[in-house]
Amino acid sequence: MGLDYKLVLWNKHKKAYDKIIAFGMVMYLVLFIVLTLIFNPETIAETMIIRAFGSLAVIMLHIILAIGPLSRLNPQFLPILYNRRHLGVSMFLAALIHGVFAIIHFHTLGNVNPIYSVFTSNMDYGSLTNFPFQVLGFLALLILFFMASTSHDFFLKNLSPQVWKGLHMLVYIAYALILLHVFLGAFQQETSIFTIGIVVLGFIVITSLHLVAAFKESKVDGFKGEKDTGGWLKVCDMHEIPEDRAKIFTVGKKRVAIFKYDGKLSAIHNVCKHQGGPLGEGKIVDGCITCPWHGYQYLPHNGQSPPPFTEKVATYELRLDNDIIYINPIGLEEGTAVEPILC
Amino acid sequence: METAVTVFLTILALYFGVGLLFGLYFMFLGAAKIDSIMADSKKKVRLLLFPGVVATWPFLLIRLFKPNTAD
Repeated sequence: MGLDYKLVLWNKHKKAYDKIIAFGMVMYLVLFIVLTLIFNPETIAETMIIRAFGSLAVIMLHIILAIGPLSRLNPQFLPILYNRRHLGVSMFLAALIHGVFAIIHFHTLGNVNPIYSVFTSNMDYGSLTNFPFQVLGFLALLILFFMASTSHDFFLKNLSPQVWKGLHMLVYIAYALILLHVFLGAFQQETSIFTIGIVVLGFIVITSLHLVAAFKESKVDGFKGEKDTGGWLKVCDMHEIPEDRAKIFTVGKKRVAIFKYDGKLSAIHNVCKHQGGPLGEGKIVDGCITCPWHGYQYLPHNGQSPPPFTEKVATYELRLDNDIIYINPIGLEEGTAVEPILC
Repeated sequence: METAVTVFLTILALYFGVGLLFGLYFMFLGAAKIDSIMADSKKKVRLLLFPGVVATWPFLLIRLFKPNTAD
């Protein structure tokens, strides 16, 4: 949340994570170069740089894709999620160095435009074993550029959250292109199955994590509570909700988070206005519901961000009957104040 | 296939060419018209946003003609 745009949104924690990212990247590059010099000493410097940064980018992309589902499965991963934007931009820079060096090394020696050369130096598009895999890498890099260059709150606001999110969901197309780029490149240039094995393992891990997280969420979407005569939905016993935390339910096809705090209960729409983060997976901080993704805050009784911020989410009426919570499935206008029920 | 490649790369070059022009307009004139918060923004921030403006200029061009939708 902010009233002006900063160059980079740094705080003490983000700086610490960025140092870890930079340290990890440098350590990987050093390790890669040392191992290459030991086991493949005839490798020239350009090839080493291309491979080191390419493999680094692939590893970082796997980490980035794993963070989302891991955070849904275990809240302890949430702090890493807060820093995913910086990790993504760092990954793009690694991929860019890989791409630029590859183009300089392989496509600048002739009199053809280097980018045109990437697409036409091998025209065997009909072959699987000799497919011009460089094209796939170029297209993936283009997508990563669109994502990295728009990783700023200015674009989130001015492209609209829907367009921004759609743009950043292209990471899965980039991932598919990169997998094919590595597979086909490895097939054509190496006989070792090591590279292919690692990529297959990474794909299995990423796919499994997404499937398990989706299964967990499907339980929430499959919730069908009993309705009383007034049409209110029976949701749960109030003791099932931990203090300063929430439980999420699907009510009238919308996800609703019921929060317990200071001996009170309030319900709001589960989707944060910033990037659609799951508010019910966050907690109460300084009296405000705090989104686990980027820290956007809302007052529990009216779903409004504290002044001077203007974000608002829908609120819901609750009722307590013998410790059982009932909810009116008809949501109220965004930002409507609802008296919390005492528990 | 070469024709398809030429057409694709020409469209790509045109897209980014127009994006560069729009980006320059954004840097010096358009930033505050697109988003009122940008009026007091530092040059470093505009420079940081430049590549993204080049990449997403059609959306921001629409935004320029509907200035109040995201405020």
